[in-house]
Amino acid sequence: MGDDLDDELRRLFSDDRLDVHVTPDATDAVLRGADRRRRRRSAVTTAFAVVTLIGAGIGLTQLPSSTDRTAGDLLPTSLPTSSSTPPSPSVSTITQTTIVTVNPPTPNSNGNTPGTPGGTTGSSSTKPRTTTPPAPPPAEPGAVGKLALGMSEADALKTGSLVEPSSPADAEGRCVAYATTTVPDSNATIISPARGIVRLTLPSYAKTQRGVGAGSKVADVKTSYPTATQNGSELRVEMAATPKWTYVFETDGVTVTTVRMRLNANDCSMA
Amino acid sequence: MTAVLQLESAAERGGGRAEAVGDFAEFVRMSMPGLLRYGHALTGNPHDAADLVQSVLEKVGSRWMSVQGKGDDPLAYVRRAMANTHISIWRRRRRESLVADLPDSGAVAPELSRLENEPLWQALRELPPRQRAVIVLRYYENLSEAEIANALGISCGTVKSQSSKAMASLRTRLGKD
Repeated sequence: MGDDLDDELRRLFSDDRLDVHVTPDATDAVLRGADRRRRRRSAVTTAFAVVTLIGAGIGLTQLPSSTDRTAGDLLPTSLPTSSSTPPSPSVSTITQTTIVTVNPPTPNSNGNTPGTPGGTTGSSSTKPRTTTPPAPPPAEPGAVGKLALGMSEADALKTGSLVEPSSPADAEGRCVAYATTTVPDSNATIISPARGIVRLTLPSYAKTQRGVGAGSKVADVKTSYPTATQNGSELRVEMAATPKWTYVFETDGVTVTTVRMRLNANDCSMA
Repeated sequence: MTAVLQLESAAERGGGRAEAVGDFAEFVRMSMPGLLRYGHALTGNPHDAADLVQSVLEKVGSRWMSVQGKGDDPLAYVRRAMANTHISIWRRRRRESLVADLPDSGAVAPELSRLENEPLWQALRELPPRQRAVIVLRYYENLSEAEIANALGISCGTVKSQSSKAMASLRTRLGKD
């Protein structure tokens, strides 16, 4: 009985009467419809992108008005929106305030996540504001945007600044590497399971507090950071922050190509 | 400089898209008769088959490059999409059919009217969409249970139970039990 039904179904489905006549313009109708859908989708995507850009633009225009804390957030990445010449007045202003805000933790704090933006910029910022001259060794917050050295992978992912998926950053597969929303290099950020973020890469448009970024001359690096040491084609500048970290300026011998922050106490071979 | 590069890449994209459109047009021409027939089996009537085929092909065509990039057989992809669309979002809209050209009166197509009068065909049309899809994939497409489960995104157990319910319903309606 069951076999009968099986056979009947197969016979029915192979019946010529299932054929449906195709109109001559059937293909054109489908092509027109597909094109209409594609254009509608790209219009929606474009509108979304425009809204996002406007939102980002509004966010950026809000930045200068939102006091020291915001400056600390974005910190070493002073955006070259105001001028193309590095030592612009606004940049130097930011440098002074933030350096001051980061200095206090060194002598008197326990150093928990000193690189975290915002955490060091409390009421104490007013006191040291009088001690303006930056003394060597320099101290800058080890943070790029919302990412900070020492931050755990989970916290870093929460910021939305990492671009998944990650890739292994050492032979053992312990450490992982991510590109970021501002740096497409897949090794832009390296995270150790034990130490958190051990490497951060600055976006190509960003500059350190002392105005060094991709495109700066090697001589300018040495002028801005007299404590810089040469290591092959790299220049390294250790920061007086806790935990200790180092600026690594990769160069082609003449100009800086990439600026990275590297946690001194890191356990990832690639960092 | 950047603007020039952007223009060049846009031109490349444009050229690639024109090629993809030509490729998709050829795919539609070749596969349309088979898809309409398959849609007829799935939906139980040629009007809905035409709408289903058009709707799925439009969606697939609007993403043709990425569909091809998946590496699957595009025809198998379209058939899976048709089965799933029929089950999940198919509304029996009777919009103007752009694909099928069907005679208005039964007198012009006596074969079709005889199909409509077949008890098994009528019993199939009474099945819920998913049970019907399982039967079509099993007996029209000759797919295994695992392949049906994969195509519809359901478990093998669900395929078995749907198939068994469908066959029981068909037997009951045909008075075979």
